[in-house]
Amino acid sequence: MRKILGILLIALILAISVFAQIKVPKLELKQRTLSNGMKIVTHRDTSSPSVAIHVWYDVGGKNDPPGKSGFAHMFEHMMFKSTKNMPNEKMDRLTEDVGGFNNASTWDDFTNYYEVVPANHLEVLLWAEAERMQNLNVDQTNYNSEKEVVKEEFRQGVLANPYGRFFEFIGNLSFQQHPYKRGVIGNLDELNAASIDDANNFYKTYYRPDNATLIVVGDFEQSQLDTWVEKYFARIPKPSGSIPRVTVKESAWTKERRYEKFAPIVPFPAVAIIFQSPPSNSPDIPALKVAETILSGGESSRLYQELIYKQQIAQEASFSVDLKIDGGLLQFVGIGAEGSSSAKLEKSLLSELKKIQTSGVTAKELAKAKNQMIAGKIRALEDNDGKAIAIERAMIYQGNADAVNNEVQQLQTVTAADVQRVLKKYLAENNRVVIYYNQEKGGSDAAKK
Amino acid sequence: MQLKSKKLKGKNKLEFNKIVLRQFGVFAILLLSFVFAQAQEPIPSAPKSVTIPNVKTKVLRNGLTVVVIEKRNLPLVSVQFQTSQGSNGDYPFAGTANLTTQLLTKGTKIRTATRIAEEMEFLGGSINAGAGFLQSQVSIGVTSDKLNQAMTIMSDVILNPAFKQSEIALAKKQIVDDLTYRMTQPGSLANFAATKYSFDEWITIGTVDSVNKITRKEILKSYQEQFKLQDATLVFTGDISAAQAFNLAQRLFGKGSTPIYMTAPAGAEIVTKSRKVSSDNISKRILVIDLPNSGQSSVLFAKQFEDGKREFDPKTEKSNYSKVYFPAIVMNSLFGGGYSSRLNQEVRIKRGLSYGANSSLIWRQMDSKFIASCQTKNESAAEVAELIIAELKRLTTDLASNDELNPRKAVLIGDFGRDLETTSGLNYALSDLFLFGLTPNELNAFTENVRKVTPEQVRSFANENLKGGDIIIVGDYKIFKDDLAKRFPNQKVEVIKVAELDLNSETISKN
Repeated sequence: MRKILGILLIALILAISVFAQIKVPKLELKQRTLSNGMKIVTHRDTSSPSVAIHVWYDVGGKNDPPGKSGFAHMFEHMMFKSTKNMPNEKMDRLTEDVGGFNNASTWDDFTNYYEVVPANHLEVLLWAEAERMQNLNVDQTNYNSEKEVVKEEFRQGVLANPYGRFFEFIGNLSFQQHPYKRGVIGNLDELNAASIDDANNFYKTYYRPDNATLIVVGDFEQSQLDTWVEKYFARIPKPSGSIPRVTVKESAWTKERRYEKFAPIVPFPAVAIIFQSPPSNSPDIPALKVAETILSGGESSRLYQELIYKQQIAQEASFSVDLKIDGGLLQFVGIGAEGSSSAKLEKSLLSELKKIQTSGVTAKELAKAKNQMIAGKIRALEDNDGKAIAIERAMIYQGNADAVNNEVQQLQTVTAADVQRVLKKYLAENNRVVIYYNQEKGGSDAAKK
Repeated sequence: MQLKSKKLKGKNKLEFNKIVLRQFGVFAILLLSFVFAQAQEPIPSAPKSVTIPNVKTKVLRNGLTVVVIEKRNLPLVSVQFQTSQGSNGDYPFAGTANLTTQLLTKGTKIRTATRIAEEMEFLGGSINAGAGFLQSQVSIGVTSDKLNQAMTIMSDVILNPAFKQSEIALAKKQIVDDLTYRMTQPGSLANFAATKYSFDEWITIGTVDSVNKITRKEILKSYQEQFKLQDATLVFTGDISAAQAFNLAQRLFGKGSTPIYMTAPAGAEIVTKSRKVSSDNISKRILVIDLPNSGQSSVLFAKQFEDGKREFDPKTEKSNYSKVYFPAIVMNSLFGGGYSSRLNQEVRIKRGLSYGANSSLIWRQMDSKFIASCQTKNESAAEVAELIIAELKRLTTDLASNDELNPRKAVLIGDFGRDLETTSGLNYALSDLFLFGLTPNELNAFTENVRKVTPEQVRSFANENLKGGDIIIVGDYKIFKDDLAKRFPNQKVEVIKVAELDLNSETISKN
């Protein structure tokens, strides 16, 4: 026993010192706000001759017009079409054709547009981003064809994927008031209901400099970049009128809600157990993130060891903290192995939760989780795009760009008691939603063949 | 929940990411004419350059090749151990090499599966093991201060696996469940079907039937064949010096002093057979796998061609890229590689028929493969098949202009550069060169080799190699049956119900 304690002690000391000498690089940021309200954040890094450019707008799936779920995302597709001075798909000419890439993504809380190009193409991309911020043409032909693309995206992600509907149910059934309940992809009927007028209105309402942030990371000269920002962005006028914001608050859930859902092709039963998460800038988020890693970060995690390795009832078992500005979801998800059932998965997942709520986590588990998370943060900063993403998420979810440099410190202060406390505080028996997901009767039995 | 407007190709699979080589910038100069297209558009300044990392190599006395690229910007190291046999050696049951490799991390003579995960994750590191068709590999990613501990675990799992019965049983169950899941997705089902029906190759992860039959006996035999140090490379990339890497390799993998080289060439393919097709038609056969209630159809074109990635020159006793390699990858970039490729233009951008259509090449020592695919609503499956054929036909008849080809070359060069920007991407690229017996200098020559490809080479590659392939559609057949018959009136359509599917047979049917 003594020997074991000794080993544990050494392990503990090791754990605490593991990352003492490993530093997550600090990102030196330059920040300012233009007179039209647009925010600019830059970080110079000359380790590769490329630049990452991100423009994110404070608009997302939660801002879809009523009855038109999925609209913010469909509009994002339109931003690659023509503007006053650019033909359709010009963004691809400016990026792909010079060896770079571009993309965009729509989330519940924001929409981002981004490019990585050789450093000497920075000015051209700044011009192009400014161009689509103020001069987009919303034309009927493009609108119709992109609508079809988005419907195929829905079919591919939701209908053709055996668990696509399941993941949509999680948001749809959990939130009761907040527009997060609609899901970013929306649904086919509501996508059909939207018109080109909606697109024009949406563009005027949300795509304006005082609702946008530019992030540039990479190889540039600061003074030159500042000049380009003045030239292309500072001249965009700030429209009058305010930007509508979502003010709906999700009220606290007070009783358990249970649902049974079915789909035509579901090879294995699944379950989701969902709780309300605090807002993304809550001081409890770091402890919840540590809980996430202890429960499902890797094969030594509690859920893997118990449900997948020992009981062998699941193919996947996870606990995840879904960050959202107005409070997201804390979700246990289990996808069964052959011979399992939604009920078995539910029982085992809840029993793992109960263990931590009553007995807490060990010092070694805590140290391991922190090591995994810190190494993950270093990996995420391997390229300019990764750095730009980290800055962007700090602004969106924590409210300021500088938070990107405090994340490790926040993590280090989390104690074992914190992990136990937050799991008790947010995950109670009377505030959860439980969803069983199975194949409908008479559905395809292809899966079993 | 987030939604991207474009698909990211292969990013998750290989954890690929980024470096930018000098040529990447040089290329930009060639393309200035495009950038001037709009009067108001600013002009790019002169491109910047970087140096390409220096590759150091050493062969240990037991034959293990150790390769190092030092890259010091972050405290991270990636290490990959790769052997030159994968599922190509599977016998008698498909999936043996993959199962064997996965089991390496599930227990050694001194560590249980749980302890391996526990120790590696405590270091903040990760360990992955798996097989491809030509190779088997174990890789780790870790911060550089923890490299010694992580490497100790890595060498233990490679050299001393236990292959415990209980672990074998669990791994088999997990693979079978995963296969069962994948068989319900039209996209992965179409790929499985192509592997057997069009290429007559083993499916690397196996089939439900074949995996169920594998016993410890086959696993032990496969391990002996797969994991020979003299046929393996150990590649280090990241925050480490060559001397440090060579020392670690010697200490942990250096036992033994007489390499016994196998007689067969590395990665010899023993199960594929070449099929010479003399057809003027692009598609020779049409296969439908009927998946009732499928939310979409997957439409795929599959064609095998004779050449491999490299050619062996008996005079110099060195391998070089085969003559078709660069024309083929430029062809693929033009046809279906990346967002603005011809196929995605026709299917997604012009017609809104899919979220994304693309094509890819799967390289072998010989008998490489070409696959074009996309998912679409069941109603438009036949229309998409027709578009794929029409675009392939155009590739064989018309010459692409340099104005069209140059940007597609830039896509290849840019992607290549970004792939090398992370320690894991760099590691993957180097390991792949060694697998094919190519030298690391090829990293430097890549851009120039791509640039030299002519429109004539692209057309003749297509002409000689892409005719006579198979169209495979997986979806709800009743919805597109009539349209398919109408659009392909002179071609027989072979239909197999998903319940009748047998992926162990070349006819892929139980009947």
